[in-house]
Amino acid sequence: MKISMSQANHPAMSDSPPRCMRRALYVAAVCVAALPACLLGQIQSQTSPQVVTIKQMHFEPATLKLKPGDRVEWKNQDIFSHTVTANDGQFDSGLIAPGGSWQTTITKAGTITYHCGPHPNMTAELVVEQPGAHGHAAAETAKEAQTSLRWTLPKRPEEIHPILVNFTAALLPLAFLSDLLGRLLRRQALQAAGLWMMVYEAAISPLTVLAGWWWKSTEANQLPAKLITLHQWLGTAAALLFIALAVWRWSFHKRAVPPNWAYLAFTTIALVALVYQGSVGGAMVFGQ
Amino acid sequence: MRRLMSAVLGLMFGIASVAIAHAQAPTDPQIVGIVQTANRIDISQAHLALRKSTTPQVKEFANQMISDHTNLQKSISDLATKLGVKEETSDTAKQLKQQAAEESKKLAGLKGKDFDREYASHEVAYHQAVLDAASKSLIPNAKNAELKSALQGAAPLLQGHLQHAQQLQQSLQGSSSGQY
Repeated sequence: MKISMSQANHPAMSDSPPRCMRRALYVAAVCVAALPACLLGQIQSQTSPQVVTIKQMHFEPATLKLKPGDRVEWKNQDIFSHTVTANDGQFDSGLIAPGGSWQTTITKAGTITYHCGPHPNMTAELVVEQPGAHGHAAAETAKEAQTSLRWTLPKRPEEIHPILVNFTAALLPLAFLSDLLGRLLRRQALQAAGLWMMVYEAAISPLTVLAGWWWKSTEANQLPAKLITLHQWLGTAAALLFIALAVWRWSFHKRAVPPNWAYLAFTTIALVALVYQGSVGGAMVFGQ
Repeated sequence: MRRLMSAVLGLMFGIASVAIAHAQAPTDPQIVGIVQTANRIDISQAHLALRKSTTPQVKEFANQMISDHTNLQKSISDLATKLGVKEETSDTAKQLKQQAAEESKKLAGLKGKDFDREYASHEVAYHQAVLDAASKSLIPNAKNAELKSALQGAAPLLQGHLQHAQQLQQSLQGSSSGQY
């Protein structure tokens, strides 16, 4: 007790959170920063490629439908060596020996016709469609017909999640800005605003995340697999970071000091993560 | 001159294919003999092309012929062993060999682009002839269902080689157009 009192009175230590908390926050921030990279790697390795079999001088299936970002694997089960060569030259496997295979990731939308170099009579195609591109217009028309100006209580996750997102997205930058200005201008009122907005952020964001998970559970198959996986985990990690930041922010309030630069730096990282998270969410709703 | 040569060659193989088609209906052992002879001929001419040509496309094509026809040869040989069919010679096989010997002699006397062009146009005519023989004589006359299906499976390979050879022939013509 004595030690903590003396720490609190020490000017250099006065605006630092307890050591263990600082450590935990560093770990949390590093995790959030590394998350997109880790997740992308994980998604990449988890997503099993779509398979085209090469057998008896044919590509099977002759037409494969894909989404941008999907991996395709060609398995040569023929007794001859073959190549997988795009007619427009965007990929070329080189010779795939009997029993061998070759993979590539298709990034762009459109129809890609390909053939086997040594056997030009072997041709097939990949039809790469932007998710939601098909039937999007029809869905729009249906939505248009249903739209009315009468307000009803949001009940479905696709209504609740976007509403909550507004609060999550607004509170964090405002909390940051208030604390930054509060510190620079030495205004108590701004610092108090910064504190409470961070507390609200920590309270609301888990609800936003829950609504997001609920939405995902209802239409998982209609959402682009990679984006939704990234969005759900980044969102969950961000909500945890907001809670940690709120606890840290509260510790400054308890010691009646303004938040230090380390706190503001972590809040900046959280902001960047939130902006990225928003762009991923937007990409799913409005298309890339 | 080249056109005349191609025309003569085409006619020759046209006659050969007709000869194969109208020869006495081959038995299964004779069919295996004809297919294996055709494979051996193409492999040996590809080896000749690898020795004599310096054009990368020609070498690539020749390597492909060696690889594909060796694999085809092995699969037919495995099937024949499984079915207990022993390869037998026939007039058609002998005719194929004789024509191949003449062609090899001709190729041996050529160099550079002349060799490449002759090899490519011969490969076109040869695959066309073998394809015709397969569809008109070998497949319809094969008694054993497995042998028949193996021959039917080989047809797309020959078709692929024919197209590849035609592409090679075209590209060789394109590359030499400046000289004439």
